[in-house]
Amino acid sequence: MVRLAFSVCAVALLSACGAPQQAGAPEQPPVAGDRPAPNPLNNAYFGDLHLHTRNSFDAYIFNVRASPDEAYAYAKGGTIKHATGLDMKMKSGALDFLAITDHAEYLGVLPAIDTPGDPYASVPYAKDLFSTDPVQVNTAFRRFGDALRTGKRMEEYADLRTVKSAWRDIIESARKNYEPGKFTTLIGYEFTSAPEGRNLHRNVIFAGDTAPELPFTALESQNPEELWKWMDQQRAAGVEALSITHNANGSNGTMYERTKWDGSPVDRAWSELRARNEPLAEITQVKGTSETHPLLSPNDEFAGFEIMEWYIGSSTPVTKFDGGYVRKALKDGLELEKQSGANPYKFGLVGASDTHNAAGSYEEDSYLSKVGIQDATPQRRGSAPPDGKTWDNYKPADNTLRFSTWGASGLTGVWAKENTREEIYGALKRKETFATSGPRIRVRFFAGYGIGASPLTSDAGVKNAYDRGVPMGGDLVGQATGKPDFLVMAMRDAQSAPLQRVQIVKGWLDASGKAQEKVFDVGCSDGGAINPATHRCADNGATVDVKSCAWSEDKGDAEISAAWSDPEFDPKLNAFYYVRVLENPTCRWSTWDANRLGIEPNPALPKTIQERAYTSPIWFVPTKS
Amino acid sequence: MASVTDFLRRVIREPLAHFLAIGLVLFLANALINGDDAGPASETIAISEGRVNQIAESFLLLSGRLPTREELSSLVDDFVSEEVGYREAVAMGLDADDTIVRRRMRQKLEFLIEDDAAAQTPTDADLQAWLDAHPDDYRLPERRALRQVLASTDKRGAAASADAQAWLAKLATGADPSSLGDGSMLPAALPLTTQEGVASLFGADFAAAAFTHAGEGWFGPVASPFGQHLIRVIDSEPGRAVLLAEIRDSVHADWTEHRRNIARDEFHARMRQRYNIRIDWPAPWQDLSTTPDPNPKTRPVPEVGE
Repeated sequence: MVRLAFSVCAVALLSACGAPQQAGAPEQPPVAGDRPAPNPLNNAYFGDLHLHTRNSFDAYIFNVRASPDEAYAYAKGGTIKHATGLDMKMKSGALDFLAITDHAEYLGVLPAIDTPGDPYASVPYAKDLFSTDPVQVNTAFRRFGDALRTGKRMEEYADLRTVKSAWRDIIESARKNYEPGKFTTLIGYEFTSAPEGRNLHRNVIFAGDTAPELPFTALESQNPEELWKWMDQQRAAGVEALSITHNANGSNGTMYERTKWDGSPVDRAWSELRARNEPLAEITQVKGTSETHPLLSPNDEFAGFEIMEWYIGSSTPVTKFDGGYVRKALKDGLELEKQSGANPYKFGLVGASDTHNAAGSYEEDSYLSKVGIQDATPQRRGSAPPDGKTWDNYKPADNTLRFSTWGASGLTGVWAKENTREEIYGALKRKETFATSGPRIRVRFFAGYGIGASPLTSDAGVKNAYDRGVPMGGDLVGQATGKPDFLVMAMRDAQSAPLQRVQIVKGWLDASGKAQEKVFDVGCSDGGAINPATHRCADNGATVDVKSCAWSEDKGDAEISAAWSDPEFDPKLNAFYYVRVLENPTCRWSTWDANRLGIEPNPALPKTIQERAYTSPIWFVPTKS
Repeated sequence: MASVTDFLRRVIREPLAHFLAIGLVLFLANALINGDDAGPASETIAISEGRVNQIAESFLLLSGRLPTREELSSLVDDFVSEEVGYREAVAMGLDADDTIVRRRMRQKLEFLIEDDAAAQTPTDADLQAWLDAHPDDYRLPERRALRQVLASTDKRGAAASADAQAWLAKLATGADPSSLGDGSMLPAALPLTTQEGVASLFGADFAAAAFTHAGEGWFGPVASPFGQHLIRVIDSEPGRAVLLAEIRDSVHADWTEHRRNIARDEFHARMRQRYNIRIDWPAPWQDLSTTPDPNPKTRPVPEVGE
C-alpha cells in the first residue's frame, strides 16, 4: 500500500504536485535602462551560434545538466556549473548574442528517460543508459547514434510530446532572456543529418520570437534539400529562418558537392534553393577548422590550422577533403555559377563553439573542451599522459586522440546598428559577418571604386566606404574602367595577442572557367614591407615562451589598416575576396594544460597556434560587355 | 498565542511536514481512487476497479483512444505479472543490491523533498528578504560614459606617452578632442558602459583607471594594449541595488533553488541521525573520518563512461 502511494505520488508530482509556478508569475519587463543609440556605421557584436544544453541527447549522456536559461546566464557573463561540478565563467566578458541549437532529433528525450515516472523511463535500456558501467552506457547510447546514421526514428519515441515540450521551453527561454539593446537571443536548433556517419549537420536559426510547433529534423529526412524546401514553406507562411553548415571537415567531402542528393548535376533551381536558405557557413569551431586543408591549398603556409580529420563522434578517418572545406566550396561555387547560372555556395562566414557544456570554451588558457565529463580532464583530452608524467610509449584511446586535435574556438562577429534580434539577424542574412578562432578580433572589410584614399581609421572613412563601396558579404559590380580598392581594418582583442598580418584570400575563375586561389598579405605589423614577388610580409619575429606562455608584447600591432588593389585584377573574371587576420603566435590550450601540470606538452601536438579571424567574402561580378 | 502560531507556521514550512502531509494525502487518495489493492505483504493480489480504470486512462493518454476489450485485458494481465514479479523480486532482495534501483529510489525521494520545497509560492516579503540578504548578487554595477583620445603605440612607439602629455595640455586650454589623436577602430566616445564592458574593449588597466578617476576634465595618459589614452568621464550612473519588480523572475528562481537545496540537505541531515553510520577505510585512507559529515551539502556527480 505504501509502495503504491509512492508510485502514484511520483506520477502526480510530474503533473499536479510539482506544478511549476512560472505559469502564475507575472510577465516581467527586462531591467529598464537607456538603450544606446543605434550606430549608422554599425558596431561589432560577438556571439555564439552553436551551443547545446541538457536537451541534446548526447549532452545529457555527457552528464551535462545545464538548461537553456543557464546557457544564457553564462553567455551574459554569469557563472554556471560544468558537468563535473566545477564553475565556468568567461574571462573575456559577456557575449552580445547567443543561439541555442540543441539536436532536434530526440530533443529532451534523454532527460525524460532519466525522469522517474515519465513513460520514456520504461524503455528497456533506460537503466543501462544511466548505469555506472561505461560499457553498458556505451552499448545503450549507441542506439541513438546508430539511429541518427540511418535517419530512422526509434519507434519508442514516435510520440513527439517530449520533443514538443522541450522545444517550447527553448522558445520560452529565448523570449525570457532577450534584452533588446543589450543581449540578443536567437531561437535555433541543429538538423543532425549524418548519412552513414558523414556529417551534414546544419544549424537552423529563426529570425523572430516564434517558431513552428516542431523543427524539421533528420528523422523527417536526412536530405538537406528537404530541409530547404521546408524552410521555403515556412518563409511563405511568414516564418523566416536561415541554415548554417558546420563541420564540413567531418563530411568526407559531402557537405559542398557538385551534385544533388540524387547524384544528378547541380542545376540553377537547386543552386538558388540552397543559396536562399543557406547564406552562412561555420568555418571554425571546437571540432576544427573548415577553411581549407593543406592538401587543398598547398601554397597557403597558414592552412594547417587546427585541422580535424575524423568523422564526427567516430574514429573513422576522413579520406576525401574536396567538398569538405569552405574555400574550395567558394571556388566551386564560381564554377557552378558559370555552368548552371547560379552560385549555390555564395555564403558568408561565421564561427561557433558547438559546445555541449552549455558554455563555450573560447580561451586557450582556460580550455574545457566541449563534451562534458568525456573530455573534462587533461588526460582525457590528450594534453597529459595517463600517469601524469611521461609521454614515452604514449598510446591514447581513440577518442582522446580525437579530442587532442580539437581547438578552443570560436565566435561569430556581426556588424549591426544595435544589439537587437532584428539587427543581428539582418546582419547574418546579408552576411555582414566574420568568424574568429576565439579571440574578439574586430575586422572591417570593404571593396569599391575610388575608396582607397579614405582609410577605415576614422568614422568618415567608414562612412565613405559604406556610401561608395560594399561591405563583407556583398557583391561588387564591375565598372567599365579602373580597378576596385579594398579597404581592411583589424583590431586586436585587448585580452589576446597583438596582430601579425592581414591577408586577402582571392579565388577566381580563370579564362578557361577553372577556379584558382591565391593568398595576398595586404597589411603587415611592425612597419614590415610586403615582398612583391611572394606577397608576404617580412617575419615580424614574434615569439612565445612555451614554458610560461608569455608572448612578445613588443612585436605585432594593436591595429592594422590597409588599402589594397589586386595586382592581378582582371575585370572580365568572376572572383571572391575574403580577409584573414593572423595574431602573433600564442600557446595552444594543450600547452597551457601541460604548463599548469608542470609537464612537457604532448609532443604529437602543436605547441603554439596563430589565432585568426576570417571575414565573409566580397564577390566581384564583372559587368556584361 | 503568538508563539503557538509561530510554531504552527514553522511546522507548516518544514519540508518534512510537507513530505509527510503529501505522503498521507496520496496514501489516502490512492486508497480512495484505486480501492484497496492488497499490499505486498499479503499473498492476495486483487486488482481494484480503480486500478483498472487507471490502466485504461494511461492507455488513453498515450494513444488518444480507449483500449479495446482485448487490449485492456492484456494490459491488466501485464500489470498482474508486474505486481507478481515485483513482489517476488523484492522478496528475493533483488532491489537491495541493484545500483540502478537504489539510485532511482533515492532520486524519487529527493525529488519529492525538493519539488515540495519548490512548489511553495514565495510572498513578496520572502523575495524582498532574499534580495536584501544577497544585495551583491543583484546589484546593478556603476556605468560610465567616456571620451578618449589615443596616441597609438603602433604609430608612435615610445613617443606615444609624451605626445599624449602634449595633447593633454592642449585639451586643458579647450582644444577640440576630435582634432587630436590617432585613427582607430576604438570608439572616441563610449555610451554608459560597465567597467567589465570597458575592459573587454580597452583592457583591464584602462577600465580600472576610467572607473577610479574622480573629477572633471581630461586626464591621463593611461596605458592600454593600443597605446596611451587621454580620458574624460562625460557621464556616470552610480551602481545601485535593483528593485524587486525589476528582477522578480530571477530572484524567484534563486529563492526556489535555495529552498530545494536546503530541503534536500536538511532531509539528509535529519535522516542520518536515525542511523549509526561507520565507515571502515582501507589502508591508505585510514586517517579519514569513520563517521560521515552529519550535514551533507553536496550531491555526488555520477561518472559516466566514454
